[in-house]
Amino acid sequence: MAVQAFSDEWAAQFKDEVNKSAAYKAAGKGWKWTVGLVVEAEPDKHFPESRGLVMDLFDGDARDIRVGSAGDAQKCDFVITAPYTRWKQVATKELDATKGMLQGKLKLKGDLPTIVRYTKASQELTECTTRVPTQWPDEQ
Amino acid sequence: MHDPGPHPMARRTVEKATLVTYASKEPSAFAEMLGGLIEANVRANPQKRRDFDVLKARVGIWVTDIDEGVTLVFDAGHLIVYNDLQPPRTITIRAEAETVMSLSNLKIGVFGLPVYYDGVGRGVALKLLQGKLKIDGMLPNIATVNRVTRIFSVQ
Repeated sequence: MAVQAFSDEWAAQFKDEVNKSAAYKAAGKGWKWTVGLVVEAEPDKHFPESRGLVMDLFDGDARDIRVGSAGDAQKCDFVITAPYTRWKQVATKELDATKGMLQGKLKLKGDLPTIVRYTKASQELTECTTRVPTQWPDEQ
Repeated sequence: MHDPGPHPMARRTVEKATLVTYASKEPSAFAEMLGGLIEANVRANPQKRRDFDVLKARVGIWVTDIDEGVTLVFDAGHLIVYNDLQPPRTITIRAEAETVMSLSNLKIGVFGLPVYYDGVGRGVALKLLQGKLKIDGMLPNIATVNRVTRIFSVQ
């Protein structure tokens, strides 16, 4: 059943997808930092308030993925920020996350050599978001 | 008696030398990412710093699937990052975003040469053979290509 984008249910399903992914398990080996995704508000798209996704990823596993405030996500070791529409493009495979970062469509904060070393892991995380059946607020 | 007045040494601050500057007041996201990556690599690794301190070259990188590029002007210990491709260039690398990221994941092996026999290396070598990774000026500047690869690599 489809769940509301960036809700608690969505975060739980996303976590399940990450932990089911053998590709992420292999590519994320050695990763030990928290990642925050900031989803910026777009009231005209029925996404009125910014939200944060706080991901506790460790050594190829998702220990916890939860929805919080944008401020919660900004406290993570790595922070990726984009408006709601961009994240929707990523989760529907319209935008490749790596290209999005190189183009500045997704803004990254954190140690660059580390994130580059784990490019494959971040691509697989993106793949996992595409597997969560999602209800998008702007389509309702 | 100890002089209570201000001592010139007290005011001296140790400044971190600027390694990377941007030619444009508004560097592109790609320019900032490459500049930031190289600066972090060079500051963290003495071998990369030695390469950086002797490298003099103008390196273009064009990402074919986002139509964006940069020119990296290495001047023996300092790098200026330009938006877009700027002539003249010693070498020019053209590839898709994923391949450019693979280049920065090449391992460096014995004699400081990039490793082309592991998974990432084989992928890069295959892209070269297939023409999906093009390096203009590679043959006459192979030492420069290897040095740039070492500086660029996060491994």
